[in-house]
Amino acid sequence: MTDNTTRRSPFLSGLFSAIVPGAGQLYNGQRYRATAILVGALVVLGMVVWYGEPFWYISPVIIWLWNIWDAVSLSAGRTRSILAPVLFSLLATYGIGWQVVQINFKSASIERAVQIVRPMLRPDFVTLRTEKNSIWVPVQVPCAPNPPKAENEINGIKAFATPNCASVGETVIVSASGLWPDTETQVWWQTPIGDPKMLGENEAAMLVIKTDSSGSLTTTIRVPSTALAAAPDPTLPFQHRVYFEQFRPIGGFVISSNGRYVLQGMTETLALALMATTLSIFLAIPISFLAARNLMSANPLTFGIYVVVRTILNIVRSIEPLIVAIIFVVIVGLGPFAGVIALAIHSVAALAKLYSEVIEGIDPGPIEAVRATGATWVQTVRYGVVPQIVPPFTAFTIYRWDINVRSSTIIGFVGGGGIGFFLIQWIQINDLRAVSAAFIAIAVVVIVLDTISAKVRERLV
Amino acid sequence: MLRVEHLSKTYPNGTRALTDVSFEVADGEFLVVIGLSGSGKSTLLRCINRLIDPTEGKIFWDNIDITAATPADLRHIRRNIGMVFQQFNLVKRSSVMTNVLSGRLGYANPWLSLLGIWPDEDKKRAIKALERVGIADKAYNRADALSGGQQQRVGIARALMQEPKLILADEPVASLDPVLSHSILQYLEQLNKEGITVICSLHFLDLVHRYATRVIALKDGIKVFEGSAREIDRAKFKEIYGEEAQEVRATAL
Repeated sequence: MTDNTTRRSPFLSGLFSAIVPGAGQLYNGQRYRATAILVGALVVLGMVVWYGEPFWYISPVIIWLWNIWDAVSLSAGRTRSILAPVLFSLLATYGIGWQVVQINFKSASIERAVQIVRPMLRPDFVTLRTEKNSIWVPVQVPCAPNPPKAENEINGIKAFATPNCASVGETVIVSASGLWPDTETQVWWQTPIGDPKMLGENEAAMLVIKTDSSGSLTTTIRVPSTALAAAPDPTLPFQHRVYFEQFRPIGGFVISSNGRYVLQGMTETLALALMATTLSIFLAIPISFLAARNLMSANPLTFGIYVVVRTILNIVRSIEPLIVAIIFVVIVGLGPFAGVIALAIHSVAALAKLYSEVIEGIDPGPIEAVRATGATWVQTVRYGVVPQIVPPFTAFTIYRWDINVRSSTIIGFVGGGGIGFFLIQWIQINDLRAVSAAFIAIAVVVIVLDTISAKVRERLV
Repeated sequence: MLRVEHLSKTYPNGTRALTDVSFEVADGEFLVVIGLSGSGKSTLLRCINRLIDPTEGKIFWDNIDITAATPADLRHIRRNIGMVFQQFNLVKRSSVMTNVLSGRLGYANPWLSLLGIWPDEDKKRAIKALERVGIADKAYNRADALSGGQQQRVGIARALMQEPKLILADEPVASLDPVLSHSILQYLEQLNKEGITVICSLHFLDLVHRYATRVIALKDGIKVFEGSAREIDRAKFKEIYGEEAQEVRATAL
């Protein structure tokens, strides 16, 4: 029946393939070709149907036509090249892929690029050194029968308000004297619990008034609509404050408050990576021995352990630390500790694999030679094994720390502490100058570490 | 005096490496073991200091049964037996000095040696051993920075640190070119003349003629010849190495 020399009918071959792709090939005794054509045709068809763009139906149709032609050719004893169907499957795959990822260069906007890049060119790391001059005056909200006088004097700077009390939305005239002359002065409201409220346009901007040549200013403010937002009982009168603040440069630069956050975040990031790497070393070393084929293939039990350990390592290694961090942020709470655990878990898996490969690559010769000198087991390990594995272990560990520093910069995005924790908040409040300071700090630290670790590893290996 | 009696070794995978091998080595001999690759030469040498445990048979050295020695006794026996290897077996990343000093481990204070602390006396001995093989100037180089011939000389210096009465040399020149072969074997010959017994496996017959005081030949783990090098004629050669073998002279390479 399945005699190779038997020619099949071209008509039946074509008909079978027309009904089910590959059937004609099967009829001609080509099982693998038939399977490949059927699976390939179904996959391409499925993909095109799923995407639903009519144009791409061209691809399965061509494959179907080719498959009929191929079946007919086979019956005549000729095997056709599979180049055409492969090309058309790839064409559909890449065509759909292009559309799925929405590649669209037209959506790029220079204007928005400028908007985001311009503030980033001035990273918020240092600021001019300034001194501050300030005074405040109490204002009662809402009014009680006999409000205290709205005036205050500190170090010769005076401020007063009229009237002495007001309700939300009412206007108050505030004045200050004895300030620096001709200097821009910020005027803002503070509720009894310390909340600052802005007094500028729509209560969304800082009210800035310039003092006159004698150092005085007078302006009208409106009690902010949210002044009593946190008050337990809005009918109870409380003393609110109106602040006047002036700043002037006194030469030189100081690190800005965001700059301090960048430094704090960077320190946290480096410590986080260091702790994660160190913790992982202690776990990775014992595990690496279980994951070394040459040590574990002696009997079926140890080999079973080896396979299980290797599989677990591969699974753990394939999960991004960022995702692990999301879980540990829930378990241990927000902060660097969650990041340490997430990075440590990933590092254990990665280091154990690298270490085990070092162990697998140990040269048995020196061990034999040291044993032959009459050394004890411990001495053999110290002189035959340790010198072979310590330098590569160290090199891999430094490399891992390097990677961990890079990972820990973004682990804060999910609450894992470090610079990323600050960075994501700055991104969310659109403080692009702080974002750019963080970017620069990350780049500098990573480049410096990269260079040092490369140099050290070069010496070790 | 070393006496090997009915020595057999079967590996766990079933390979039969040695079958009923017996011979004696008098003190001060330069015994050469010949035979094809896989004939059991390496296994034989490693059975003598029990890097490999024989399956059957006994080995006596000065009437002490090596095969029955306890681990502590065995270490005492091993420190009197130096070993030189085909692949030199140096720790490549360690310095030449550390490699040579490791030959002294059998004598060293176990705790200090673990910390890498060596008495000055041992360091002087190591320098002397390196001077004997002519590479004292390389003492603080990394072992893998040396050429093959130099590495094998480090291997000999390491063996010398043991103040051995016996040196086992497993194909000491098989990884070296012929000119270097002679220089290495001359060191072994020199040590032999100073009273150290040498058991050495070799490939090239002309080297055997030049250095051996006595020869034993192994084929498939069975001793097929014992006698002086001169007794190996064409027929014997064919018997040891098989019908298709051609003699290759080291000097002709």
